[in-house]
Amino acid sequence: MKVHPPKLAWKFFRWFCRKDYLEEIEGDLVELFEKRYETSPGSARRRFTWSVIRYFRPGFIRSFSPVNNSNATTMFKNNLKIAWRNLKRQPFFTFLNTFGLATGIAGTLLISLFIYDELRFDRMFSDAERIYRVNISNRIAGETNDYASVSGPLANVMRQDFPQAQLITRFLESGSILLRKDDSQKNVKEDRVVGVDETFFDMFGLRLLQGNEATALKEPKSIVLTPTAMEKHFPDGDAIGKSLTIDNGEDYLVTGIVEEMPKSSFLRDYSVFISLSSYEDAKSLAWNNWSYPTFVKLAPGTDPTVLQDFLSTVKDNYLIPWAMTFIPGLTVESSRQSEKETGNFMRFYSLALTDVHLHSPNISGEFNINSDVQNVYILFFIGLFLIVLASVNFMNLSTARSLKRAKEVGIRKTLGSSRPGLVRQFLTEAGLVAFISLVLAVLAATLMLPYFNELSGKSISMPFDNLVFWLILLLATLVLGLISGSYPAFLMSRFAPHIALKSGGENSLKGGKVRNILVIVQFAVSIFLIASTLVVFQQLSFIQNKDLGFKKDQVLIIDDADAAGEQLESFKNEVERLAQVEHVSLSRFLPTPSDRNGTTFFIDDAMNTDNAIIIGNWRVDHDYIPAIGLELIAGRNFDPQLKTDSSSLIINESTLQMLNMTADEAIGTRMTSDFRREDKENAHFMTVIGVVKNFHFESLRNGIDAMSLTLGTDATKAIIKLNPGDFSGSIAKIEAIWDEVATGQLFSYYFMDDSFNQTYEAEQRLGRIFITFTVLSLFIACLGLFGLAAFNAEKRSKEIGIRKVLGASVSQITYRLSIDFLKLVGLSIVLSIPLAWYAMNQWLQDFSYRIEISWWIFALSALAAVAISILTVSQQSIRAALTNPVKSLKVE
Amino acid sequence: MGEHSLGEFEELVLLFVAAFNNEAYGVLILENLEKKLERKINISAVHVALKRMENKGFVESDYGGITNERGGRRKKYYSITATGKKMLDRQYELRTSIYKEIPKISFGQ
Repeated sequence: MKVHPPKLAWKFFRWFCRKDYLEEIEGDLVELFEKRYETSPGSARRRFTWSVIRYFRPGFIRSFSPVNNSNATTMFKNNLKIAWRNLKRQPFFTFLNTFGLATGIAGTLLISLFIYDELRFDRMFSDAERIYRVNISNRIAGETNDYASVSGPLANVMRQDFPQAQLITRFLESGSILLRKDDSQKNVKEDRVVGVDETFFDMFGLRLLQGNEATALKEPKSIVLTPTAMEKHFPDGDAIGKSLTIDNGEDYLVTGIVEEMPKSSFLRDYSVFISLSSYEDAKSLAWNNWSYPTFVKLAPGTDPTVLQDFLSTVKDNYLIPWAMTFIPGLTVESSRQSEKETGNFMRFYSLALTDVHLHSPNISGEFNINSDVQNVYILFFIGLFLIVLASVNFMNLSTARSLKRAKEVGIRKTLGSSRPGLVRQFLTEAGLVAFISLVLAVLAATLMLPYFNELSGKSISMPFDNLVFWLILLLATLVLGLISGSYPAFLMSRFAPHIALKSGGENSLKGGKVRNILVIVQFAVSIFLIASTLVVFQQLSFIQNKDLGFKKDQVLIIDDADAAGEQLESFKNEVERLAQVEHVSLSRFLPTPSDRNGTTFFIDDAMNTDNAIIIGNWRVDHDYIPAIGLELIAGRNFDPQLKTDSSSLIINESTLQMLNMTADEAIGTRMTSDFRREDKENAHFMTVIGVVKNFHFESLRNGIDAMSLTLGTDATKAIIKLNPGDFSGSIAKIEAIWDEVATGQLFSYYFMDDSFNQTYEAEQRLGRIFITFTVLSLFIACLGLFGLAAFNAEKRSKEIGIRKVLGASVSQITYRLSIDFLKLVGLSIVLSIPLAWYAMNQWLQDFSYRIEISWWIFALSALAAVAISILTVSQQSIRAALTNPVKSLKVE
Repeated sequence: MGEHSLGEFEELVLLFVAAFNNEAYGVLILENLEKKLERKINISAVHVALKRMENKGFVESDYGGITNERGGRRKKYYSITATGKKMLDRQYELRTSIYKEIPKISFGQ
């Protein structure tokens, strides 16, 4: 029987041993092994293995670097060496080049990370591409409004009759609530609380850290917390099975701890989830409460148009039959007929979850302020600008320097260098600079990331552990190096040796025209960015100072005022008595982010769908209008003396438009939301008693929706208009009153104008991002101009010397040196301003209320560009002009 | 370049190469060493010594013919070079000359 040495050791040996030793040593090993095997097989094996290990030492291990003695590698090594020496020889230009390029790469890297994060929004949920949200679009009197939430029963209907739906989840926004532990007197506030169906976790693939995904939200009065919320309420960590009192009312049982909500998702702000079955209203089969955002996950492989098809039947098959039970004479046909006549419509449609963040129209009742794909495009272009600027810089400086390299090229060619060889050499140099810049850029971007996150309101981290990230980075740098290096390489390798070697080699200096064009491009981009930044900021300040139709200043809002319970009225009366207080009002609705509500009203006694309108209905008190400074344009405010005012309604101008009436005509109009009763004649009608001037209660991106005010008692906020003066003193006094009437309850307040400003955070962020990258791009452009000016002054030192000898003054020479560049800047102004005007006009189209772009914006940007370029160039020019001509003329 | 030195183990290996001139190869040297020294030696040590001495120019090597032994792998036979022989001679002289200087008195002879 043939014996074999241990396989693994043998294989290993064959793998590492150098080839020229292999046969001899292997032979000796095998011979020894066979001899020893006869006496003791075990020992032979062990000794064989041990010997193999002993051979694993330098001198016996083969070289693992691929054997490569080809000419190409040698040349590459040589090129790298030459490139390094060249870079070291001209530290100033190398610095300008790498610094500019690194700044560009770092900026672009940050922007790319931002864009990546935006594009990834909401996509981390399991099967996100199969999740759709149902919205409604409602057109009345020429006004179309979209709403993100629909009727509660829609989910039931889909569960029954739409089998393609794998999962359906409804949401019910509950705003902020107060939570209190059993054994505690103290309420703790949670800002974003939402009621969800039990399928919620399953639908979005959220894992429960404790508890069961399927059952946690099944039972009424169940509550699930994120770890952050748990920390807040149960610092000792043991929360499951404990109970929490909500808003000083009912007890809820903690049934689960869910993982933190993903940062780049519409759920990011939520920390508390309540089972939807806890809400009585959620079980209602009535279609008139439009408060439930509804999500559907389609079964795998389902064509999304199936969902759309189903949704377009919902109105005829479910909604109208329900309405027919209390509206006499209503049929599907009559509703179609009236839609045709009036142009009004109401339809359900689906919106892919992954489109909500970037690709959805202005929808009322969104979960959070959505971004717009336009911003992504804008940023993409800024990123592109940055990298183009940096690349142009590189080309400019390299070709400008080609004068100095002309002799080198001449000698190399004389000694037999081929043109491709020279191209490779210059490309290697470009690649090296690009690579050094990359290293610097990654370093800089990592350091700047925390500031950038603050600027952009994101929480991005560097994906250092992501191999693809590095690959893209390396590849992009390589491409950048090749592109930036190709023009200089092409240009410099073209020099004819006999010309290049002639004294000075000045004749061979080509590429002046291209260089000029590149400078023009750089400055055109910079001016474009300056102008755009100015427009963005002007629009922002316009929004912030626009007459909103209400007075947001000096208005203090006290949240969760309903915690005072019965004492709320006496709180109001006490506070009203304070000298510093002008008005106090109680409501849950504000023109700044707060609760919203839409109600269907039927106008006049004939309950005909033609006359149905959905308008906002805010329940307020008598002091609401003066407290937030609304202006009545017709009729009167609610009167505390008149009992009948409980059936009175004050509408805004947008509602007038819907009613197609003038303000005076509208007074006295009767409408009802009480249309579901059997005895129509006893329906509760409201009478319009006043019309308020339109005021902006949504972001200025949107128009002003129709809304109405009625008296009501479900207030959650106290709205306190203060007199000018010592606010902190007033707040202290108000807090003292609060502590008296609502002992132990949280006193949380904010000023309305702060809350208002937050609504425009997205624009402000965009503005800040704009200005940051504008400065960055200007900086890069200036680096390039500075380098060119320095080079130009050096090149023309003899000319300057001769001019000085012949009597030119310093100012004349400075002028001559600077004017060339200023001409280029002038050209770029002419090119960029129409572009900037066009682009910014497009951007402004998104705002319902916008500025007109005025000429001074462009004048200012042009002036800024000229001023900056003069500053950059003149320093070099003046220095050159001041040089003693003897110095420049004696060197040959 | 300075003089190449010769380690103790290398010297032993070199002695065997000289002794079995033209017939010396790894296993043969190993077996003889083990017999003389009466201890176990790893074959790798022999090869390390041989390769080092080859680099220093004390030995040279040549492949033998293909046989049926060792799975058809050729043996590499080592022989001593002139430099190697000179080195051995010098080592020997050095040792004997120093050895002779040991005073006989110290061991009471």
